[in-house]
Amino acid sequence: MPTAVLLDSSLSMTRPVSVEGSEEFQRKNLAVHGLTMLFEHMATNYRLEFTSLVSFSSLWEVLVPFTRDYNTLQEALNNLEDYDKTCLEAALQGVSNIVQQEWGTSCPCQVVLVTDGALGIGRGSLRHSLQTVKQRVEDKKFPLPFPFPSKLYVMCIANAEELQATDSMDNLEQLINLNGGEGQIYTMEGPLCLKSVQSMFGKLIDQAYSPFHAVLRCGNLTSDVQVFPRPEPVTIDEEVDPMPRTVQTEGDEIGTGATDDTEEETSTNQMAGKSPNFCVLLHGSLKVEGMVALVQLGPDWFGMLYSQADSKKKSNLMMSLFEPGSEPLPWLGRISQLGPASDAAENPYGEDDSKSPFPIQPKHKRSYAQNVTVWIKASGLQTDVQKILRNARKLPEKTQTFYKELNRLRKAALAFGFWELLKSMAELLERECTLLSDSAHPDAAFQLSHAAQQLKLASSGDSKYAAYEHNITPMLTDFSGGGGAHRI
Amino acid sequence: MRIFSVSHKTAFVVDHCPYMAESSRQLIECDMLTKSRSQGVIPLAPVSKSLWTCAIECSMEYCRILYDVYPTKKLVNYIVSDSEVHILNSWKQENQNTQELMTALAAVGPPNPRQDPECCSVLHGLVAAVESLCKITEYQHESRTTLMDTADRVANRGRIICLTNAKSDTHVRMLEDCVLETIQEQNKRAAGSDRLMPIQQCELVLVHIYPQGEETLVSDRQKKELSSVLSSEVHSVRAGRYLAGKLNVLVQQHFDLASTTITNIPMKEEQHANTSANYDVELLHHRDAHIEFIKTQPSFHCMNTSRDSGLKETVTLKWCTPRTNSVELHYCTGAYRISPVDVNSRPSSCLTNFLLNGRSVLLEQPRKSGSKVISHMLSSHGGEIFLHVLNSTRSTLEDPPSISEGCGGRVTDYRITDFGEFMRENRLTPFPESMVDAACRTPVERAKFQLERHTRYWPMIISQTTIFNMQAVVPLANLIVKDTLTDEDVLTCQKTVYNLVDMERKSDPLPISTAGSRGKGPKRDEQYRIMWNELETLVKAHVGTSERHQRVLDCISACRSKPPEEEERKKRGRKREDKEDKTEKNGKDTEEKGWTTDSERLKGVMEREKDEQSECEIIKDSPDSPEPLNKKPRLATEEQQPPEKSKGPVSLLTLWTNRITQANSRKHQEFAGRLSSVNSKAELYQHLKEENGMDVHENGKATR
Repeated sequence: MPTAVLLDSSLSMTRPVSVEGSEEFQRKNLAVHGLTMLFEHMATNYRLEFTSLVSFSSLWEVLVPFTRDYNTLQEALNNLEDYDKTCLEAALQGVSNIVQQEWGTSCPCQVVLVTDGALGIGRGSLRHSLQTVKQRVEDKKFPLPFPFPSKLYVMCIANAEELQATDSMDNLEQLINLNGGEGQIYTMEGPLCLKSVQSMFGKLIDQAYSPFHAVLRCGNLTSDVQVFPRPEPVTIDEEVDPMPRTVQTEGDEIGTGATDDTEEETSTNQMAGKSPNFCVLLHGSLKVEGMVALVQLGPDWFGMLYSQADSKKKSNLMMSLFEPGSEPLPWLGRISQLGPASDAAENPYGEDDSKSPFPIQPKHKRSYAQNVTVWIKASGLQTDVQKILRNARKLPEKTQTFYKELNRLRKAALAFGFWELLKSMAELLERECTLLSDSAHPDAAFQLSHAAQQLKLASSGDSKYAAYEHNITPMLTDFSGGGGAHRI
Repeated sequence: MRIFSVSHKTAFVVDHCPYMAESSRQLIECDMLTKSRSQGVIPLAPVSKSLWTCAIECSMEYCRILYDVYPTKKLVNYIVSDSEVHILNSWKQENQNTQELMTALAAVGPPNPRQDPECCSVLHGLVAAVESLCKITEYQHESRTTLMDTADRVANRGRIICLTNAKSDTHVRMLEDCVLETIQEQNKRAAGSDRLMPIQQCELVLVHIYPQGEETLVSDRQKKELSSVLSSEVHSVRAGRYLAGKLNVLVQQHFDLASTTITNIPMKEEQHANTSANYDVELLHHRDAHIEFIKTQPSFHCMNTSRDSGLKETVTLKWCTPRTNSVELHYCTGAYRISPVDVNSRPSSCLTNFLLNGRSVLLEQPRKSGSKVISHMLSSHGGEIFLHVLNSTRSTLEDPPSISEGCGGRVTDYRITDFGEFMRENRLTPFPESMVDAACRTPVERAKFQLERHTRYWPMIISQTTIFNMQAVVPLANLIVKDTLTDEDVLTCQKTVYNLVDMERKSDPLPISTAGSRGKGPKRDEQYRIMWNELETLVKAHVGTSERHQRVLDCISACRSKPPEEEERKKRGRKREDKEDKTEKNGKDTEEKGWTTDSERLKGVMEREKDEQSECEIIKDSPDSPEPLNKKPRLATEEQQPPEKSKGPVSLLTLWTNRITQANSRKHQEFAGRLSSVNSKAELYQHLKEENGMDVHENGKATR
């Protein structure tokens, strides 16, 4: 996940710290030292992650837009300038904007705020911002909580005692609370020196920037993998299941199937070396066969592996995490019920690979996949009536369709308790009967009056005729004898 | 997300008292006469729905949308109330569909206007609804069972939607009081029962329906807490389309839905097949599909009020001409089920049929200027249509490194095709819930077990294997990984072995990899030895599976070639051992002895080819090829252990170089430096140290 570093460049950052040798340090130097350490760590362990550097005082400025080039970031750190006072709110709003512009609101992002804990005075100070946080109008809202999933880490170039002496600590804690408790405040322990700033950033690295190493396992074939971006724990239902689920580091590949949808992507990337690696083999075969592999990430948590090509030349193994649960994709069914195709009595993929057991159809069709009857709008009802009349005029050719539509209308009318409609429909059919031309087929008249009569019976509510499952069937007539006797 | 929110259980209570038979007074003209036929015909009087019919069709529409978007876990209990209670379905998942409700409603029929109004009341239904909300659903039961100690985390909440025709505000209050009392009563009862749960939270939604053209006797009221458990709201709505609109808004509020209108859908005109016009279709889906709009632009510019549904907002997205390119899928961040608002209108059914037939539609944000932004996609999976959210901003996954840059990326002879075949053999398929095998394993456990068996011996690269490059071995290789073998299978395996024996007798060439090397590779009998070893490794990996698997191994052991010169080699080996006894006695076990003889034999091979061979040749490592002794230079000190003794196979090149070095070393006097070297490294310019009295090691160069 991307990181936005927000570095305090106000004048107070140039305050010297107590001397520990011949050289004199400013707080700014300590901040730069800490960030250098973070950038070095990321360049080695997190080189696929994007980081941006923003400096702020009463104004804010993007020094380096989101990049994977850690040299540029380092260079910017070496060329910092000092400005006036601290106005955190505007800077947080700035970070919020640049993150949204770059990544939208669904991509999680870490914000690392590096400050000396002198949070400004008067208007624009954090204290002032927090005091007025509840009196904002719609377009001047406090930037926290960030609209994107976020963690706000506050790195104080100050020790806890110093911050507690003023209300700085309280204000920073309030800031984390405003972000929904997502984040943490780090302070320096002991005297302000290079060593203590290192230990503070070391803690941040352990907490938020530890690389995700895992083992991908397919039976006895295994491969060590590192996953970018790091999969974060997920809470499914804070009430029933309040513990966040974490991805286990043993990925168990459980078989392959053909599907085509993704929820969240992370790319699995291998560490260097030249001996054969299972990941490369798997990737190659998935690519050639156009298949995906199902991977288990924990109890009732699954994902899939597939080959993703960025360009024609470059492709890599990608892992998509499904939402935790036993049935993450409805068209695969319950994952625990997926077994080896060779156990099935008949090959579900067909002898020539022409079939597939997927997608699994739902037990009940959705309303748009079945011919439901909705008469909420008058036009819906009118269309259905007209359809019947249209077919009625084409009897006996359209006998089947005529009765099918008639029965559909009859069923809906019975369910909705709309008996008046059945009577009206009957009258309409009777009138159609009288309007038949001389050249009309004799069967038409019989079918029309038969249908009308049946509708009337149904509208009486008589259980014998008004049963929902009952269908009006065409009247059996016999014209084969040249228009002779009619059987009724 | 909480599973057991108020929306888990919805009890519909529909009034079936005689007054509900009253007409809604919304007239529908169903006799639409065409011009040519209208002469002399008196059109039929328009029909009008009763209050009951209006209530039923709107509640069914509510259920239809609900079931479309949430096929599971959101349950409806449908109750009809007159002089008694008719409960039309249960909380069971299998009862949750509109067809079943329609059938049950047809059996109830319209209200009987002649029934005694005195004994009819919607109260019966409300009491039944409260009782029903106390009943545990299968999901609550399942969660309680799995949570065991923390079963109290499973909440019991619910909603009652009551469609009635109330007399007055006082009447409404009476209904509310009744629900409140019943909840208190039922909660006491439920506390002492296993199958019942007390209600923790209940939302009562009273919808008063009155005929058009009448003044309402009941006033609207916003949601109000009547007690810590019960809240209530009152909606006073005219029957007909107003009621439909109201329930449409309610279903969206109750189930976190949002609306998207797809605009600019090109459709052929019914009358003029060669012209096409553009249509709009409104869809409902979970609100999260709009998360990007909601968060970034609170007053999103393509939000506007939909004409049909009154107050609510809809997001307009433009239809893009379908593409089959599936690259967009990779940036999909979510998929949400949809339900069309106007399900059987022609534009709706055209769109849904198009999607159900397997096509996809990309949706674009309407913008006045700038580049086009595709933010959503409609596509169906297994008969269900989903609105997919596509990432329209920059992706953190852009420009991923190629897999060839990583570990093992430079290796070129992976068994890609074979692994493809392996994957096809291990494909998954759904099994019915009831199917559990003898060992009580779920299908997915069986799949993992099968993967374990199939990978016990599976070389990843072509040059690592001989047997998997041989057609003749295929029958055995396919069978031996099976969990059980039949006698016939064993016979097939044995035939495979006999066939190999036959091949060896005829001295057929074997596909031993000589990739990347020049020359002929090992001699024929050596090739067969490697092949037999590998075959044995494969079968040994499965020998524990059953007695029949053991029989296959027995067959191989019995049939495989015993090299004729074995005796001679043994003799030679013994001699050599005597000779090298001094240097090699430390830490030698029998296993090593085994491959000492092998390397001796290889030495023979090499000697025969010595003349024609000016350059070294390489055999790619074979898993079972013996690890040759790392020959030390003759003059090496005794303390030195072969440094790479246990570090895996050694290539022929190393063997050869060692051998040459060994031979050459006998022919000349060794360099003084090498003689005094430590780990074959000698310190240069040692005299400098003495002369300058400085430790040259300081600068590190001399020792590295």
